Amino acid sequence: MNPFTRWWEITRREASSALRRPASWVLFGFLILAGFTIATVSRIVSGDPSLGGEVVHITSVYGQASFQSATILIFGVWFLALSAGLPVIKDHELGVMEVFRSTRLTEREYVWGKFGGALGAFLVLWLLFLCILAGFSHLLDAGGFPERIGPFSVWNYVLPTLLFGLPQILLLAGVPLLLGVWTRRPLLVFAVATIMLVMATIARLLGGGEDVGWLSLLFDLSGGGWLSGTYLEVDRGVEFYNTAPLRPGGAFLLSRLFIALAGLLSVVLAARRYRVWMRRGGAKVRGAASERAIEVNVPRPPLRRLGMQQRPPGFWRAAGAIARSETHDLVRRPGMLVFVPLLIMFALSQGREGTGPFGSAVLVTSGGTAAAQMNVMNGLICFLLLFYTVECLHKERSRGMHDIFRTAPVGTGAILLGKSAGNVVLALFMLGVMFVCDTVMIIVRGASGAAADFEFLPFAATWGLVLVPTFIFWTALVTLIYCLLRGRYMAYAVGIAVFYLTAGRGVAGGLPTWTTSWSGLGFVTWSDMGAFSLHGTPLVLNRLLYLSLVPLLYTLAVKFYPRRDFDPVHLLKGANPRALLMRGLRLLPLAAPAIVLASVLTCAGEAGHQGPAATAWEKDYWRANTTTWSGFRMPSVSRVDLDLDIEPRLRSVAVQGSYTFFNHRDHPYEQLPVTAGQWEPIEWTLDGAAHRPRNSSNLFIFDLEEPLAPGDSVTIGFSYDVVHLHGMSRMPEELGLFVLESGVVLNNYSLSFVPWPGYASAIGVDEENRPRPRDYPDDFHEGVTEAGSGWGAVPFHVRTRITTPEAYTANGVGRMVSDEVSGDRRTVVWETDHPVGSFNVIAGRYAVKEGNGTAIYYHPGHHYNIEEMSAALDAARRYYSEWFHPYPWSVLKLSEFPDYSGYAASFETNVVFSEGIGFLTRSTPGTDVAFQIVAHEAAHQWWGNMLEPGEGPGGNILSEGMANYAVKLLFAQVHGDRYRMRFSETSEQLYARGRSYDWERPLVGVTGRLPGDRVVNYYRSAWVMWMLQQEMGRENVLAGLRAFIAKYTANPDHPVLYDLLDVLRDFAPDTTAFDAFAAQWFHDVVMPEYELSDVTRTREGEGWVVRGTVANVGTGRMRVVVAATAGYRWADEDGGGGRSVVSEDYRDARTEVVPGAGESVEFLIRAGFEPNRVVVDPDMMVLQLSRNTAGYRFER
Amino acid sequence: MLEIRDLVKIYPGPVAALQGVTLEVPRGMFGLLGPNGAGKTTLMRIVSGLLEPTSGTVHFNGEDIVADPARVRRQLGYLPQDFGFYPHLTGESMLRFLLVLKGVQAPKGLKHLAAELLDRVNLSYAAKRKVKGYSGGMRQRLGIAQALAGDPGLLIVDEPTAGLDPEERLRFYRLLAELAENRTVLLSTHIVEDISVLCPRMAILHGGRFVADTTPSEARGRLADTIFLGVVDRERLAEINRDYRVTQELLIEGRHRVRIHVPEGPPPEGFETAEPTLEDAYLLLAQADGVGNGDGSGNGDAPDAPEEVSGDETVL
Repeated sequence: MNPFTRWWEITRREASSALRRPASWVLFGFLILAGFTIATVSRIVSGDPSLGGEVVHITSVYGQASFQSATILIFGVWFLALSAGLPVIKDHELGVMEVFRSTRLTEREYVWGKFGGALGAFLVLWLLFLCILAGFSHLLDAGGFPERIGPFSVWNYVLPTLLFGLPQILLLAGVPLLLGVWTRRPLLVFAVATIMLVMATIARLLGGGEDVGWLSLLFDLSGGGWLSGTYLEVDRGVEFYNTAPLRPGGAFLLSRLFIALAGLLSVVLAARRYRVWMRRGGAKVRGAASERAIEVNVPRPPLRRLGMQQRPPGFWRAAGAIARSETHDLVRRPGMLVFVPLLIMFALSQGREGTGPFGSAVLVTSGGTAAAQMNVMNGLICFLLLFYTVECLHKERSRGMHDIFRTAPVGTGAILLGKSAGNVVLALFMLGVMFVCDTVMIIVRGASGAAADFEFLPFAATWGLVLVPTFIFWTALVTLIYCLLRGRYMAYAVGIAVFYLTAGRGVAGGLPTWTTSWSGLGFVTWSDMGAFSLHGTPLVLNRLLYLSLVPLLYTLAVKFYPRRDFDPVHLLKGANPRALLMRGLRLLPLAAPAIVLASVLTCAGEAGHQGPAATAWEKDYWRANTTTWSGFRMPSVSRVDLDLDIEPRLRSVAVQGSYTFFNHRDHPYEQLPVTAGQWEPIEWTLDGAAHRPRNSSNLFIFDLEEPLAPGDSVTIGFSYDVVHLHGMSRMPEELGLFVLESGVVLNNYSLSFVPWPGYASAIGVDEENRPRPRDYPDDFHEGVTEAGSGWGAVPFHVRTRITTPEAYTANGVGRMVSDEVSGDRRTVVWETDHPVGSFNVIAGRYAVKEGNGTAIYYHPGHHYNIEEMSAALDAARRYYSEWFHPYPWSVLKLSEFPDYSGYAASFETNVVFSEGIGFLTRSTPGTDVAFQIVAHEAAHQWWGNMLEPGEGPGGNILSEGMANYAVKLLFAQVHGDRYRMRFSETSEQLYARGRSYDWERPLVGVTGRLPGDRVVNYYRSAWVMWMLQQEMGRENVLAGLRAFIAKYTANPDHPVLYDLLDVLRDFAPDTTAFDAFAAQWFHDVVMPEYELSDVTRTREGEGWVVRGTVANVGTGRMRVVVAATAGYRWADEDGGGGRSVVSEDYRDARTEVVPGAGESVEFLIRAGFEPNRVVVDPDMMVLQLSRNTAGYRFER
Repeated sequence: MLEIRDLVKIYPGPVAALQGVTLEVPRGMFGLLGPNGAGKTTLMRIVSGLLEPTSGTVHFNGEDIVADPARVRRQLGYLPQDFGFYPHLTGESMLRFLLVLKGVQAPKGLKHLAAELLDRVNLSYAAKRKVKGYSGGMRQRLGIAQALAGDPGLLIVDEPTAGLDPEERLRFYRLLAELAENRTVLLSTHIVEDISVLCPRMAILHGGRFVADTTPSEARGRLADTIFLGVVDRERLAEINRDYRVTQELLIEGRHRVRIHVPEGPPPEGFETAEPTLEDAYLLLAQADGVGNGDGSGNGDAPDAPEEVSGDETVL
């Protein structure tokens, strides 16, 4: 037998052994799921396959590279650590090498054989995965979107495996092998595997292309960071991804080669280490006991003198002993070395601030962290419990102790309870690990101002209430599954299927209800203002339901536990229907609590606000009215009077009020329709007299005795009781409008508490009857344009009288005219001192921070950013008034509401933020996120409220884009350029990452319906306005904007972007330049992308000369500054009032270039100092892609 | 008293492991002898309450073990043929864990009792070592210790001396002999010497049936003056094998020492009368049943240990 044959024999046997381990089957199961998921729902870059048209193929080389690099990293790291790191240790413990030493097998052949076996096993599974993935994609079209599947090309599958997979596979197998040989300690093998995973994950998240250098790319084990930084971060268009070849750069190839060689080098070192160790004779098998000479003749007292007695142990004593033993065993299992680091890594990843609106960092809070981690922990620990519960039940069999164990006089119930308790303790241990990590993380990050105060209650409330019952139920269910099937592999398969079908798929498919969902996935939307006021009752009943099933499951498990191997003849005899029925009836008392709870949840859910009855009227409404009333334009509302009596505890509002309609149009009205919700008892008045309008499925049609002539008014009154969210919910949901103990949020944009004037076209519309989006002609903006949202028409006055429990503060639009307390009820009256276009009501138990004509109402625990937010609100009110239009109302309020849905909305004088926005954002040096968000929402008082955008393309830019432009102005005004530039940079990145190359339309054509439209609306348009400001001059732009708002405020003709350009053009000092700019940036989609090359610096006389070339590899032509700089630009100190200050060490010298698309322009800069850096657009004045390539740093 | 009546066990196949076995086992040591596949382990597992028979009854001290196997567990000490332990526990921890499960109590506490039991099986020195480091013999002795624990009324030991060296086997004999004074001990083995040393009564099981229920001395006595010993060369050995029933054949210094059974007539030339042994009796009884090599029952070999022991530790 030659060396190759011996090596092959070891490799073959090792691979075969590895493939038979449960880990292989588990991995294979995961790979199938991953393959199915990739083929059905995954996509890369941007675009939405459901919208039709061309999309990036998941089968393209870029798609495969993205999926394969991540899949190998996530799954390969654990499998390869197991299959490469542990077999040597196991052989060592079993003393196998003692046998091998008597053969011709060398240490090198042995180690390389082990490596080859692990590698071979993984590659076999990987090959199967690729075949399955290709099968799902090309043959089955599992996703149902053939547009996502490109032509089959083997190379598209093979290249990513070779380029991204193979190097990391070699390393992920080689390093654990080396550690296994070197230390023979599984803990270290897994610890290092975990470190590699963390390192590679961070590198993947950070991204980075060729510019970061091959040394940095060595940390990017998966290669995903390079792929993302080079190709995926910025959308390059469908055609590129589907057709362009993947061209790895030199630095990347070098890094891949080094990673692969590092893996092979590890094996070489392992073989050498093993040889040295074996030649020293090899240590005794660790823990192996040597025999001792037997002392046969030592006299011992007879056994009876020991006084032994045997009495069956008590139930709890036996269960406790088994639970202790199981816990002792479980915490030492290798799986713990995988899961505990995984959980710690997960906890630490949560420590990174989350991302809030506008890319803002968010403070880490106890409740937010506990709720955010729930779903992942739920899935991970349930999977762990499945594996370990089955192993616990099977381990006596697998260790040959089955017969001894089964003949012990312990009740089967005690055995199952003890084993289950051990597993639940393990789950609690996991929760404890996570809790400790989270506690430390929150406290540590809190010390640096990155986290809110630590609280225990949120963890206890969420994990204790939701997760612990889930783990108890799941353990009981898995126990029953094992007892029924009596085989571990079948139990794994059935358990995974049950979990996927009832928990995973249920959640993904939106199927679970409080009755059917046992897992708790997606149950909790945390709010510090009252986490369970939304779904508290059904949540508790759901938990009780599944806990009540546990005794039944255990009773069945005891029945089927293989305490005695059954005889098939007896089994058949006992399987008659009558006997089975009688046995089933005997279990009825155990099932009764669950039946009662399930019935309560189901019936209450069906009858509640999510039940079919609650929304059945909506379809009737649509059917009865859409033909007649769709497109009916209402007269304007000129006044709203409301008297609201709110009882948060009962979720009810007693409403009495009226709308006064003013006919602002040029034709009379004979009928006025008003839409109402399912409110009882509803009563109407017409001009103060009782009236019974025609009820057309909740569209109430008022037939006017005298037609409402142009310029005339009529008042419609109404009264009714609203029980908001009546009854119990069927399933967890997010809610933006509610009446709950934790807070009240209502507005006139939906039928949450007041009638809708006219026909509400959105009611009763779903996928079946959704109308085609309207096509707008090129001249759609000519003439009168209707409002894009809300009631439209012209602004009106609102008077709101709100009665609540005394502890609540209730805010409406306008100014407060009275605040009275009578008994335990508080009544406040709000009146508008200037017309508004919308109104809302918000109430809660607030602390208040008063500013200069401003006020912030906030949850007392959320005090972190109040000073910044108040300063921002004051500054916004002051400067926006100067720049855009005087603020017409006497007060500007901002109120917080529970985070049952994360959004902010700016109603006139009454801005509302959910708690996750602003109140819990976190600022870092150079950023002031709370300021930024407040400035954005406050800007909507002007851009969105005073000026209500028109319906049609480009309308929303006047709201969101102009609000972000206002933020830039305010940052520059209050905090200086550093903050403005940082905000601009963030906006640029969000736009670049969120844009959709193929779907992007010019600004004037953005409808908001296409992929990527959101970032165009918010970020690109704000950037364009900033660049226009440089083109026109700041004062000219502001003068134009003032004129624009003045023209369109209270105007029935609502403006779109065309109208803005028309007005601004009149203020442009150079209309030709204005037109050229508008042609590029408003009527076309251009995107400069600058690259520096041939950059040199030479000393000439006293100064320095910097030469180089700027190329615009993108599109568009812009004048852009190139600067040679020295030193860091910004000083740490505050320039006063939070204003940024330029560092004294900073120097720069500048020149300007105007490179058009595809052009290169040489530049020359003379500097009176030694420059160390050259940067294109140092002041963030020109929107561009890949800004990191537009800089150059001189070597020292 | 252990009473077994008409016990039948048929495994899927079908394979008849036990074919109507009836046996009464009195207090004291009782040996169950038989070749591999005879049905010994099946019988032991049924008596231990681990296996449901196809038909028949088993009573211990009047209690029906088949109907309610929990009854026998309260007074059972059981040492299976193949077994293992939790590898991560020390010998002492493992034993104490089993003592708790068995409900064993002792005046000086379980820790002291565990130490005493380990001392009895000569494992005190390895009490603090993990079981995964135990040799086969040590593991067997730990199994013996747990079987003895609790002073069980019925002790069932299946191939207990497998893996023990001669001295340990001797020690175990003493322990069993001591225990058998006031309880029923059912010893299953295919090592005749074990029965010979320990058991006042024995039964021979073959092909799922009992072929003898006797005492060792009675079995030996029936062979008085019929066993002959001689030394022959290779050429004559074939002739002896053809003409006589050979109970033992040993190769010593190049020649064959042969024991033969000659029930009638003179022995062959060169053979002298020898003292009958239990092994002679066992082999002759087995041969008389026509199934000397365990292949003549007509039912095939019954799986003695039908339960598969996978043995592979799951590693995740």
